Amino acid sequence: MRKTKGLSPVVREPGPGVKLGVEDGLLCQLIHSPEFNLFSGSAVFESNFIQVPLGSRGSCVTKSGTRVDICGRPAAMILGVTSSVPSLPLPNVLLMANVTWPHGHCSTCNKPGAVPVITLNRLRIFTEKIYYLRLHEKHPEAVFQFWIRLVKILQHGLSITTKDPRIQFTHCLVPKRPSSSPEATPESSFPSSSQPSETLMLLAAEQTSGSFSELSGRAQFTADRSITPTIDIADSNSCDSVPSLVASQVHLNIPMRAALSHSLWEQEDPDEHRMQAPVASSLGQNFLGP
Amino acid sequence: MAYAYLFKYIIIGDTGVGKSCLLLQFTDKRFQPVHDLTIGVEFGARMITIDGKQIKLQIWDTAGQESFRSITRSYYRGAAGALLVYDITRRDTFNHLTTWLEDARQHSNSNMVIMLIGNKSDLESRREVKKEEGEAFAREHGLIFMETSAKTASNVEEAFINTAKEIYEKIQEGVFDINNEANGIKIGPQHGATNATHAGNQGGQQAGGGCC
Repeated sequence: MRKTKGLSPVVREPGPGVKLGVEDGLLCQLIHSPEFNLFSGSAVFESNFIQVPLGSRGSCVTKSGTRVDICGRPAAMILGVTSSVPSLPLPNVLLMANVTWPHGHCSTCNKPGAVPVITLNRLRIFTEKIYYLRLHEKHPEAVFQFWIRLVKILQHGLSITTKDPRIQFTHCLVPKRPSSSPEATPESSFPSSSQPSETLMLLAAEQTSGSFSELSGRAQFTADRSITPTIDIADSNSCDSVPSLVASQVHLNIPMRAALSHSLWEQEDPDEHRMQAPVASSLGQNFLGP
Repeated sequence: MAYAYLFKYIIIGDTGVGKSCLLLQFTDKRFQPVHDLTIGVEFGARMITIDGKQIKLQIWDTAGQESFRSITRSYYRGAAGALLVYDITRRDTFNHLTTWLEDARQHSNSNMVIMLIGNKSDLESRREVKKEEGEAFAREHGLIFMETSAKTASNVEEAFINTAKEIYEKIQEGVFDINNEANGIKIGPQHGATNATHAGNQGGQQAGGGCC
């Protein structure tokens, strides 16, 4: 029987997502731990962010614009998405956790005159509170692109409606784009365009992510926060009030590599951005696009 | 940090009664006068000591807003203790207790210990609900009752710890099946096979602050 492409075996080596710190990270470990045992079986896509003060009240701000905690450390946060049920087609839970990083982990955060923020997430939650989150410097730029990709997915849905690798799909719910190679993998069937190659981008990202696991291993949660579905998220382009801090590096048409997204968003169709997908999660309906 | 037991708590009650402030006071020993509305659920944790045993309280602070009710209901299950909070300066929050209690009883395990809390006891001049009314409600429904102030920290420690004592007593009496984690109790790694010795309840001294 022909094996469905893009699906991964149950037991596997840690994928590039782990190396990038977006899979099996601290938040994932916490909520899957016996103490919480939440959303077991669901993948968690997560990243570390530094909270920046725009729109937040009572902030303690350094000259570089980084919000710091009362000890003078950058206010760090882990943002993650997961599903309450593994077989849901899209994530429906947003997780936020405050983190205490050890001193000295972030060499540029408190340096006066540091480079302005270039990638910024604007996260608007149900109560209208807005967080401005800068991706942690230990993450490569590709991770920010994944978040942008996630926003797009949540807004428009996917052509395939499951992310559970145990479910074998033999058909696609939307017409496939004609391909010159019928045996093409999901990666190679992506349209070649002026956008950077996903594989190349990921490889570059992996090369710059060496120190991430060390960072993750040293962090401690100070408080755990989980926030459920009613959330808006946007990249910095949609924030008119802070144009000076924004240099958009958003590539809207960069698909996630299947190897990375194996348990998150399976075998997405390369044309999904042109189609009305059948499903968009309630979380996605509240996301603001770039 | 190793613990003998982990108790899962849930804090419920109308919006604005001070649920998150109670949690913050208990876990961080501070009061935040202006607090963001809770969305969904937030977690806090702290170790306490009861009868010489380290007990970790994992506290789920829920949103009080009606729009989140369907979400918060799903968190009742698997809680060993609940803090049902009202605001002594707002009669309506007291009037809604019956609804909250029905919800809790319907969606939680029958042995869950419920502590009724009349919060904001520092605002005596604005009091709308007498202490006796809270006591009567608790008596009628089989709850423990305390008035607290998250602002002054009055009775906050006691509210959380007394609830833990009650749960601990139920464990000693065999009321809780501690091997069933659906009861909101988890045996810690240090307890291992030697759990559930008898021993009375000799008080709950706090074992350091901190969180998680």
